[in-house]
Amino acid sequence: MKLFKKMRGELSCDDVMEVLQSYLDGETDADTARKVASHLDDCTDCDLESSVYQNIRVSLSVNKAPIDPVVLDSLRHFGERVSRGEID
Amino acid sequence: MTRPESEAEESDASAEAASAASTEAFNRYVLPELEVLYRTARSLTRNATDAEDLVQDTLLRAYRAIDRFDGRYPKAWLLTIMRNANINRARKKKPDLLDDPELTFERSVEFAETSGPEEIVTDPMFDASVIDAFDALSNDFRQVVELVDLNGLAYQEAADILGVPVGTVMSRLHRARRRIRDHLGEHGLDSEANLPRGSTMKDVVVGSAS
Repeated sequence: MKLFKKMRGELSCDDVMEVLQSYLDGETDADTARKVASHLDDCTDCDLESSVYQNIRVSLSVNKAPIDPVVLDSLRHFGERVSRGEID
Repeated sequence: MTRPESEAEESDASAEAASAASTEAFNRYVLPELEVLYRTARSLTRNATDAEDLVQDTLLRAYRAIDRFDGRYPKAWLLTIMRNANINRARKKKPDLLDDPELTFERSVEFAETSGPEEIVTDPMFDASVIDAFDALSNDFRQVVELVDLNGLAYQEAADILGVPVGTVMSRLHRARRRIRDHLGEHGLDSEANLPRGSTMKDVVVGSAS
């Protein structure tokens, strides 16, 4: 099976795992990206693995990305005014 | 027999008490979640200005509903409010494309539901596990994750800043993420059912509250 895939220029699951993170970062060449995308379309396990890494990135971005303290202060000020019934 | 003045006084007093209770509940349950709300809004809207508007809208809606909130799971409650506010916002953004109100509604809902992977924002268990694993990374590893995943740099840009070969960035980054991924696996959070993305935010919030 692996041999057939190789002969057809397709990637095996091991090949995809090797380049998956670079692919998700947009750091692979176009040909590799196309092959990975095609593999992910057909392979549930690799597609799930890809989802796990994408979820990690979203989670980090929601929870750990730096935020502007000025914006947060201004929202806190707004919230305090709402709390005092000054804005409705 | 009750005199009208005292009736009015009683009514004023009860309105004041209700308002004081709302203020107290709002300060206790809502304001401490402000940073989470803003982070979530930024992820939902992918735009700093829209994110601020969404948080403000959420705060107003929360204040109006605070007297009906039972005090359990404030974050889940607030994220549900934010999700609804965001869907409303998406509807308002696309009102003029079509005259048929039903079609307009459908298109807006579609817009709201397909605005990208960041739309599905948060699952507290998943997030907590990711954060634990991230915080446990060594400085070298954490640094590359910060540069690439949090600040959006390309591998080469991160390599230039750190003064290391691009292969080093790639190797550290991939190993760092692999550790986070393995940490999720050790806690059974790497299955389809546990991934926040792919389910709706409402489901995630309800799931986290049960």
